[in-house]
Order: sequence, then C-alpha cells, then structure tokens
Amino acid sequence: MKDILSKAVNVAVQKYGAEYAEVRGQKLFKTMLTLKEGRAEAAKQGIENGAALRVLVNGAWGFASVGTFDVETLTMAVSDACKMAKAASSKLKKPIKLISTKPIEDKVILKPRKDPSKISIEDKINTTLTMNSKILGYDNRVKSCTIDYLDLTGTNYFINNEGSYIEQDKLYVWSRILATAKEGDIFTFSREEIGSTSGYEVFDVETPEIVGERVAKRAVEQLKAKPPKGGTFPVILGPNVVGVFVHEAFGHLAEADLTLSGSVLLDKLGKKIASNLVTFYDDGTVEGAFGSFKYDDEGIQAQKTLLVKDGVVVGLMHNRETAQKFNTKPTGNMRAEDFRVEPIIRMRNTFMEPKDHSFEELIEDVKFGYYFKSFRGGQANLDGTFQVGIQEAYEIVKGELGEPVRNASISGNTLETLFKVDAVGKDFELWPGRCGKRQTVFVCDGGPHVRVKEVLVGGSA
Amino acid sequence: MVVALKKEQMLDIAEDAVDFALKKGADEAEAFAYQGLTTTVVIERGQIARSTRIVDRGLGIRAIIKKAIGFSYTNVLRSKAAVEETILKALSSAKASKPDEEWRGLPAKKQLKSVENTYDHKIVELHSEDLVKAASLMLDAAEKVDKRVFPVEGGVGASYLSRAIANSNGVAAFDHGTIIECSLATLGQEAGEVTPICFEFNVERKYAIDPEWVGKEAARLAVSALKAKKIETKSTNVIFSQFALQDLLYFTLINAVKAYYVQRDQSAFKGKIGEKVASENVTIHDDGLFQGGIRTWEFDGEGVPQQKTLVIERGVLRNFLYDNYTAKKEGKESTGNATRAGYLSTPNVEATNFHMISGKKSPEELIGEVDDGLLVYSLQGAHSSNPASGEFSVVATPAWKIENGKIAYATRGTMLAGNIFQLLKNISELANNERKIGQLVAPWVLVENVRVIGK
Repeated sequence: MKDILSKAVNVAVQKYGAEYAEVRGQKLFKTMLTLKEGRAEAAKQGIENGAALRVLVNGAWGFASVGTFDVETLTMAVSDACKMAKAASSKLKKPIKLISTKPIEDKVILKPRKDPSKISIEDKINTTLTMNSKILGYDNRVKSCTIDYLDLTGTNYFINNEGSYIEQDKLYVWSRILATAKEGDIFTFSREEIGSTSGYEVFDVETPEIVGERVAKRAVEQLKAKPPKGGTFPVILGPNVVGVFVHEAFGHLAEADLTLSGSVLLDKLGKKIASNLVTFYDDGTVEGAFGSFKYDDEGIQAQKTLLVKDGVVVGLMHNRETAQKFNTKPTGNMRAEDFRVEPIIRMRNTFMEPKDHSFEELIEDVKFGYYFKSFRGGQANLDGTFQVGIQEAYEIVKGELGEPVRNASISGNTLETLFKVDAVGKDFELWPGRCGKRQTVFVCDGGPHVRVKEVLVGGSA
Repeated sequence: MVVALKKEQMLDIAEDAVDFALKKGADEAEAFAYQGLTTTVVIERGQIARSTRIVDRGLGIRAIIKKAIGFSYTNVLRSKAAVEETILKALSSAKASKPDEEWRGLPAKKQLKSVENTYDHKIVELHSEDLVKAASLMLDAAEKVDKRVFPVEGGVGASYLSRAIANSNGVAAFDHGTIIECSLATLGQEAGEVTPICFEFNVERKYAIDPEWVGKEAARLAVSALKAKKIETKSTNVIFSQFALQDLLYFTLINAVKAYYVQRDQSAFKGKIGEKVASENVTIHDDGLFQGGIRTWEFDGEGVPQQKTLVIERGVLRNFLYDNYTAKKEGKESTGNATRAGYLSTPNVEATNFHMISGKKSPEELIGEVDDGLLVYSLQGAHSSNPASGEFSVVATPAWKIENGKIAYATRGTMLAGNIFQLLKNISELANNERKIGQLVAPWVLVENVRVIGK
C-alpha cells in the first residue's frame, strides 16, 4: 500500500511541483441494519475502498478522490488535483501555507474485546430485536420503533511528501433508536444514540433492555407533558443538553476555520467570554469514546485541547493551515467523513469541566424555571445565535421538579448566555452523537449539570 | 471531465448482477448502479482557495430469499470477482435476516415517461477554469456591494450523474442528468456587530445559473441584516421565504404525507384523506417529472416511473406518497417516490419536487400588505421539530421586521413557535416568486397569527 500511495505523492511533487501532497487510502467494511417495529427492513453489508489526494500547488488546494487503488487511475487523479489547484490559484489573493510539523510513522492496531466484524449478523439482529420488544412492549401507546445499527471496521492509510506514513485501524459501533407514542391527538417522539470506538462490548453497558426502556419511557411520559411558557426563565441543563450546548453554541465558533470566517470569537482570544465557572475542552484522547482517534486525517496526533479556562478563551481547534495563520500548533481536529471528501476541522469529544454543586443544590433556589434533561437537536450561527431543541424537560417549581414539558427549545446568544452560568454540578456524562458540517462525523458531547440564571425558552403557550 | 461509464456498461453491470444473484439462489433480485462525477471550485474566506473533483461509482444489490431481504454494495466495480463477492454478501445477508411477511415482491416493469431539461452537455464539458471564472464573477459582485460584507464561503459545482436499475421482473432502465449550482454565504460586519450567515444560491439542471446575481444578493442580505434589534413577544404575520419554508416543511409536512409515516401511526394526517388540512390557498403536487426539477428523473430508486401526484388540493388532503412496499401493503400502486442515497442505501420513501402552487402577487406586494409582521429568510433548529405532532420552536435568522408595508429593520434573537399543521391553515397568501430549494418548489408565503417570541 505504501508503495502505491507514495507513487501518487511523488507525481504531485516531481511532475507538478506541489508544495505539499498527501494521499489518504481507505479500506472499510460496514454492516448496517434497519428495524421498523421489529421488521428487519434489510440486512446490509458494504465495501468502501478508495483514495483521496490533496495537493497544494501555487498556494491553492486541489483535491480528487477515486474509488480504487489502481496506480494508473491514482496517477490520473493526482494530475487532475494538481491541474485544478493551478486553475484555482489563478485568482488567489493570499497563498495558503501550512505550519511545519514533524513527520510521523506509526501503525495503530486495534484489539477490541468484541470485534463487530466477527459477530454474526444474526446476533446483531437479535440485539436490535430485544431492544425493539422492550420498547413496543413498554406501553401500548408506543406506536412505532425504528432502530438503525451500523458497524464499521477497516484500515485508513495516510502518506505525505514530508515523510509521514500512518496505518490506522478504524472501528465504530453505532445505533440510533427512535420511538413514537400517541394518545388521542398527541404525538410524542423519543431518540437515543449509542456509539463507541472500543467495540461491540458497548452493548454490555448500554444493554438493549436499559436503552429500550429509556427511549420508551420518555415517549410515554411526554404524552402527559404540557407546552412550556415562552419567555426568559432560569434553567438547569442536564449533561446531555450541556454537551450539545458546548458543541453547537460554542464549539463550532472555536473551529479555527469558522473563527477565521468571522465567528464572534475572532477577536476574543485571551478574553473573558463566560463566567468563571466555565471551562471547555475538546479531547480526542478519551478511551473508547465515539469522537476519539489517534491521528487525524492530516496525520496529526489527536490531543486534549483546552478551549476555555475559567471563562477565558485560551485555544481554538486547528489544522495545519489555520495553525499557520495563528502561529500555533495543529490540534489534531482534521477529519474527513470518508475518502470521497476533504478533511475539515471537526470536533471530537467536547465537554464542560465539572465543579462542585449537587443536583439538589442547583435546583433548590429556583422558584420557577425549567429542567432540560435531554436534547432533540441543536444548531448555531457564526454570530453566536444558538438554538437547542429539547426532547425531555420538566418544570421546576419552588426548588423541586414538577410536571413534564414537551417541545421546548432554548435560544440566545452564546456569549451572553455563558456569562449567565451561575452554578456548575459535580457530576459528569459524555454522550455519543453525530455532527454535520457538510460531512457527518462521530463525536461525543457532555459535561455536568449546569444552572443558567436566565435563558430564552421558546414555547407555544 | 473524467470518462464516465456509458449507458450500456451501466446496464450490463446491473443486469449481470441480477442474473448472478438469481443463479446463486435468490428468489428475487434488484441491482442499482450509480455514478456521480462532481467538480467544484470553492470560495473560502474571501478568495477562491481550492478545487475538487470527486468520482464516485458503485453498485447496490437487493436479494430476496423467502421474503427476507439482504442488501450489499461495493464501489469496486473493476473486478468481476469483487462484484460477485458483493452479490454473495447480499444473499448471505438475506439468509441471516428475518422474513418480512408483508413483502409482496419487487416492482413490475412499466412504461417510463420522458423528462425534460434534466441534462445539458454544456455542464459535462465544463473545465475547472470555467468554474473558477463563474466563482470569481460571484465573488467580485459580492465585494462590490459594500465594504462591510465578508464572503465566508461558497463556490460553484458541476455534476454529471447517471443511474441504471435492473430487477428480476424485467425492469432495466438507465437515466442520466446534470446539475450545476453556485452559492455564497456572507456576513455583515460593523463596529463589533456580526450578522448571522446570509446565504443565496442558484441550482439548475441546465447551464443557466447567474453567479453575479447570487453574489450581489448574498451581499445585499448581509448589509440589510446589520443593526439588528430585539422585538416584542406577540402573535403576528410572518412571511416565510423558501429557505425557511423548506426547513420547516422538510421535517414536518413532508414526513406527514409519506406512506411510511402514515402506516406506522407517525403522521398527523392518518385517516384524513379528503379532509381540509390547510388553507384554501394551498395546492401541492409532488412532481417527479417537474421540468428541470432538481429531483426529476425518469424512474425512482426502484425503477418505477416518477409521476405527478396531487397531495393537497385547495387545502384538502388528496394523496400520500408511496414506494413499492408501502403501496402494495394497501393494494395500491407506487407513486414513484422511492429514493436512494446513490448505491449506498436501500430505497426509502421521499418527496421528489414538492411543488406548492404560486399565487399572483409579487413579493413586494406581499410585504406591502403587512402592517406589522416579520419577513423570515432562514430558520435555525427546524430539525428539532417534533416530526409527528408538527410542533416547532425555532430561531428566525436572518429576519426583518415589517412595518406599514415596508421592511423596517433586521431583528435578532427572535424565536417562532407553533404547530406546522395549524400554520398551514393560516396561510393567507402566496407570492408569485416560485423557486427551487432542496425538495421544495414554492413561492414566499404569508402566514397569519404566528407566535413570535422576542424580548
């Protein structure tokens, strides 16, 4: 493999004078299942082999991808990439440069306790069927249950013209479970995700029974929930919601490509943007977590990156291009969904650091507010406007949890909201998920329970 | 452009795969061959910084044994052995899976209708230099508008797509098409204020995009989004642009009319055929044959002819959208709404071109009718809507306050909350500015009595 890939790199440098050239190879195998109400829609298996070629010529990027390792095709593709880079460079204002890094040679071999590629499809179907029975059997108001399952195994190859060569095993196990319940005209909806880079043993902890009950119970309890009042309220955010908030409302703004694109953090490095209680990390090294890996898709070792310390922005997530602009080090955040696409700066496991409050202490002083336990989705804009939709919420009345609330969402400006964090819990949870930024990658988000003095709650009542 | 596999090659790959699967013991088999060749030129932070070319092709096979379905795919088409191994995997998957008692077979062969304005050889012949030129026009146009505008990202992309399908009922069909698009996302920046992302784009099947207009318009939006103010909480009139409408409908209404959702008790429209579900102004077709439509093809992901299906007629619900499986379950015919993610997935029910029929008024006239309200260009968080109940709670950004029939100022931190099915009943007017965005073909719509949450 090394010989094949290095030929392509050599063509770029020797024939087209590329300043930089890299090839990523990928040999992956996927197994997928979709069950709807226990009906196996199809058992699916797929092979995805291919190569991605990225070159820097005259200060502009060229990129090509092909679904083969055939030397002739790779040579054509790398020529293509170089010619396209030249075409793009014709209108270049500022040539792109990369910070220099030490070449790496390594081979990362995974030894999962339960290798998903060695587990039969029958077993995987049975796991999902057990979950399905638990959900549909929980209550007759549960009307539907969709379970998606995916595992991916294989090897990624990376080579560049600076002497790096990395072979890295890949392993992901993922499942998404959706249930709906209905009573009269009321529909509710509940979602969970399971994700791991360690192996199929994730189902020993997140067992089909535990996850199934969590999903079904939420859908049913939401049936008796009421809509929230619209307006500004004190809220307690659960770890699951804190995670998506850190990821969406802050994390994307701290991806250096987006920071440079004009995110509100651009002029905030070294400045205070949050209360003293706020410390954020993006960490690629959490063992077995869904967003972990050893090397990113630019051949840089993943690290634990401190983004905000005691309310002050101290770091961003960088690739070699943005690190050069900020005169700093790349953080190992360059990720590509697969060989078809270019790597871009992405998060890994993003979380808030816990402090000292118990849940009871957080809630006791709230006269009226909301407890947002689990999110449905979130989104942010470069100006710092965020929105997080909530799938499980409760009223807080006189310091105690009250009735369930459905279809709430919170919104505001990230920087204004972070100053309103006035107490942080001592617990900690990390939740797996997927993040979309033109491409999809696997991540984790999390943190402790957090109290926010006031936040805008969107409600229809 | 890279040499594409020809019609005959694509059909051969698909038909051979079906034959091999049957020979190896499948009761039924279907093969879907796909290729996509895409060249793009990318604008990044105010300059053209990169160009990419992606060649993706592969084959997906469904094999059915005793009503159990197996699927496998590969992107390795060069080697016959690799393709055959993939077909055997589809068979082994079927054997490992459980029978689906409601399986009623793959679709039968049907006469296809021809489609118009979906292929343009000019797009196939474009070079990256041509795309650089178009991107440059767009960028220059944006920068000329105002110094406060920062072009964040965008680009121009040209694609050639082709697909071939074969199944054991004698279906064998090929279709190809082109798509070209240009887009620009901008920000307005002034004295510490940053606007939300403002976005404009063109997408066409023929070489008829206007990058200059896109650049100018994206920049104009960014300037007008500056000096944003908070507004009061109340129920008011809201004009939704197509971007906002697409976001809202994609996660709610479009799901509610899919047979999958209806049959599984996940749709608020179950049992409501013939009932009034929207205001009388609303007529919607799902039109898989829409001229030049982004999702117009001769056949769907199962080889069934695409068609025009009346979904809502003057506010009355008329039909749901079906693929072969959901249709046969009700003793009906598929409406040609099976979609695939290239060769990578099995078919799913999806809208084609969801066409909301326009009204007569210009967008300016529509704004002119509003004494007090909001013009919403885009939404944040629509994907967190409750897909079954239609309840949503989203941020309107960018959005503008309308006062006395004129756009008064940009707003910030504004949320909209409500229920899409109620909202459909409150659509009082539709403009005449129809355009294609994602699955939607629609004009601006004016909705009365929307809950707006401000300060």
